[in-house]
Amino acid sequence: MSSAETTPNSEAKPGKLLTFRTSAWLGWMIESNWTDPFIFAIYSIIRPISTAAILIVMYLVIRGGDFGSADFVNLYIGNAFFILVGAAIQGVSFGILDDREHYRTLKYIYIAPVRVPVYLFGRSVASILVACFSVLITLGFGIIFLKMPIALAEVKWGLFAAAFVLGMAVMICLGLMLGSWTLIIKNNAWSLGESLGAGLLIFSGAVFPLSVLPVPLQWVGSALPISYWLTLIRRALVPGIGRAYPMYTNLSDQQLILILLGFTLVYAALAALIYKRFDFIARERGNIDMVSNY
Amino acid sequence: MFAVETEALGRIYKVKKTRKEAAHTLVALDNVNLSVNQGELFGLLGPNGAGKTTLIKVLTTLLAPSSGFAHVNGLDVARQPEEIRRQINMVSGGETSGYGLLTVRENLWMFTQFYGIPSRQANARIMELLKIVGLEDRANTKSSNLSTGLRQKMNIVRGFMTDPTVLFLDEPTLGLDVGAARDVRRFVRQWVDDDPTRTLLLTTHYMVEAEEMCDRVAIINQGKILACDTPQNLKQSLRSEGVYSLQVSALDEKDFEELKGIAGFRQGTLRQVESGAELELVLSDDSVLAGLLGFLTAKGSRITTLHKREASLEDVFISLVGKSMKDVENGAAD
Amino acid sequence: MALQTKVTRNSGARLFLQSVIGRSYPRVIGTQRDLSWLFFDIFLPFLTMVGYVYIYRALKAPEEYIGFVVLGSAMTAYWINILWSMSSQLYWEKETGNLALYVMSPTPLMAILFGMASGGLFSTTIRALVILVVGNLLFQVSYTITSFWALFLVFVLTMVALYGMGMMLSSLFLLFNREAWHSANLLQAPVMLFSGFYFPVSAFNFWVAAAASIVPLTLGMDAIRQLVFPSTALLGFLSVKLELIILAILSVLFLAAAFLTLRRMERLAIKHGKITDRLD
Repeated sequence: MSSAETTPNSEAKPGKLLTFRTSAWLGWMIESNWTDPFIFAIYSIIRPISTAAILIVMYLVIRGGDFGSADFVNLYIGNAFFILVGAAIQGVSFGILDDREHYRTLKYIYIAPVRVPVYLFGRSVASILVACFSVLITLGFGIIFLKMPIALAEVKWGLFAAAFVLGMAVMICLGLMLGSWTLIIKNNAWSLGESLGAGLLIFSGAVFPLSVLPVPLQWVGSALPISYWLTLIRRALVPGIGRAYPMYTNLSDQQLILILLGFTLVYAALAALIYKRFDFIARERGNIDMVSNY
Repeated sequence: MFAVETEALGRIYKVKKTRKEAAHTLVALDNVNLSVNQGELFGLLGPNGAGKTTLIKVLTTLLAPSSGFAHVNGLDVARQPEEIRRQINMVSGGETSGYGLLTVRENLWMFTQFYGIPSRQANARIMELLKIVGLEDRANTKSSNLSTGLRQKMNIVRGFMTDPTVLFLDEPTLGLDVGAARDVRRFVRQWVDDDPTRTLLLTTHYMVEAEEMCDRVAIINQGKILACDTPQNLKQSLRSEGVYSLQVSALDEKDFEELKGIAGFRQGTLRQVESGAELELVLSDDSVLAGLLGFLTAKGSRITTLHKREASLEDVFISLVGKSMKDVENGAAD
Repeated sequence: MALQTKVTRNSGARLFLQSVIGRSYPRVIGTQRDLSWLFFDIFLPFLTMVGYVYIYRALKAPEEYIGFVVLGSAMTAYWINILWSMSSQLYWEKETGNLALYVMSPTPLMAILFGMASGGLFSTTIRALVILVVGNLLFQVSYTITSFWALFLVFVLTMVALYGMGMMLSSLFLLFNREAWHSANLLQAPVMLFSGFYFPVSAFNFWVAAAASIVPLTLGMDAIRQLVFPSTALLGFLSVKLELIILAILSVLFLAAAFLTLRRMERLAIKHGKITDRLD
């Protein structure tokens, strides 16, 4: 009520920053479970550590240990950071479903004078923040219990920051593409983001180099930004070991950054186009205020 | 033997401590004594939150009493739930039971299997009932594609198809349009009239429903039964009193409180409307009216309409509780 | 308007059997009516399987390990079904209002649970078979079945014990008073680790593997691996014979526990008003 009183211009549109800030706050309130240690433990500790432990045991039964080896460290880091891929991709589609099916507020967001993609972007930032804790916990577990050689002094922080930001941006664009599709999906799409994220694991070079795959699948991997991003993260976190990973060895860090930047721009444009198209279809079909029956 | 009988029945809920509230108990039913005869269509009338659904839950063996006793067909709800379950069924308004991917007929068939009805008989019974409620053309529609009203009709069929001797209907016409609600009421009444061994206990917060359909009505508020009789007798209890509806140009809450002090004023409600204010008043007798009109004139309130009318169950409720059901539901202050 | 069709009612064993069939019906019919499972329950687990296969390929693991992954991925379908469609099911049923109707009906709740389990077992077996067949075709896994009957018995006992556990968990999830969503998530990943879906459980030390054996899939998969990949029999945790005996014991224990917890849940739920959870 007060906003109408304090904003004389009734056509005033909240700025993108305000929309982003509000939606990020909303997403944070929904996604973060700090007040409930039980739920926090499930999602931020038990699940990521269990998944990492499966890889640890797989490595152990075949190689008989040696967790300091380049093979293992690269595998472990790839797996840890891949958590962010799932979170970023999941963020948007989950936000759409949550708002549409659970809170039933998507229709109100649509009729409010905000940019919906900015709102969805804000909501996914919260899920990325929560996933960051899982990454930290997984890495911490590796360093403490597996004595993995990650030394903070050797980390290339500048490269890490650049790669991280670009990677997250491109992943959110990917999430927006998937989220746009979610706009027109009826049932069962809750796990779509997470599951598709898991599917992308194959093409990301996260837990095995792309060269293991049949050649056509390697092309798919090269057309996705994740493999470049993870290569950069490895080279930034453990420079010597990361360099030894048999992917893009002929490309320098700068070249990889440029490729990632290119991907970000292309994916952003693609995401905008795809969003526009699916948004149109969703409104044409009347899906915005839809509630699926299960 | 009564079809339903309760004796000093009580039910409390323990509410756990939260950040905002200390642990406490909530009294949902308080010393409820009720007897429903076999063959009777019995109504429980009360606002939302009065304890109607809790009472139904206790009688349908879904909730144990905290104190006292409850019997259905002479069987104790706490000790003989299995025996009771063979003889009863229940339908709640707005329920979303069944599975969305099954058709109406499949959902209903599934529930008949939990009652041991052979499939051939079940299917014939389902189609007959679907025809009665006007849903036969939707028999093969997935239940997730039904509107609220049609879904409720499906629920009604679910309740009747197992031939219960005691049927509990909890707000059965909730969410139905006027026509559908009328059909349901007619069918329910007919079902009881067709067989004297059938008993139906219905909860409602619609006065008309209680007045039109029920042989007897119990008025319930805050877990307590305040009165129980035929709708006619309940209304007759106000016969010596005068029941008036007035429309006046203006009257505020403060003046209304003052009005309550007039000798012979029993109960009343005030509602602000666009054209002024509406008053529903129960006065001890007609002679009180003169003083009341004088009071309104003195307050500068012009009377636009005034009529004396037959008492309704709403008036009975007001005379018992001091507030209308709507006011109770809205949590109006005493 | 008197009803023309008269109905009779069965009781006892016939009522029980009718209820089992009635409750399994939505699960069986759901397989053909809502085809989204083809994507979510087949394609996506298939991608996960491919991921694990290539991890082993990158580590240059023996080919039998690829077989372990294919087998484990097929068995994952059962674990997911147990968590999301058995253990959580009474909770979902409470949320939709079905649970109250089940409790109020004359059929024992155990029949409803048996119905859910048999329907779930049927639809999950279809999923598991598809994953198994596609995995075999793609990665050319070769099996040498040493004893068909032992394999059959292991599978049957594993499923009885597993679904018995699911039935028990469904009451416990309701009693936990936590959202079933979280409880299922709590169990999903750790069991995938400790039960050895992608590697022999003997990789853990004896006591960890023994503790993990409380989940019937642990011993079930271990025995199946020994029976279909005889060259890796040395990686087995216990002998197949002993594992069969333990699975038989687990079957009885879980079914008995399911019966007892269900009764307790029903009693407590009626006492505390948890079947409908709505105050009025």
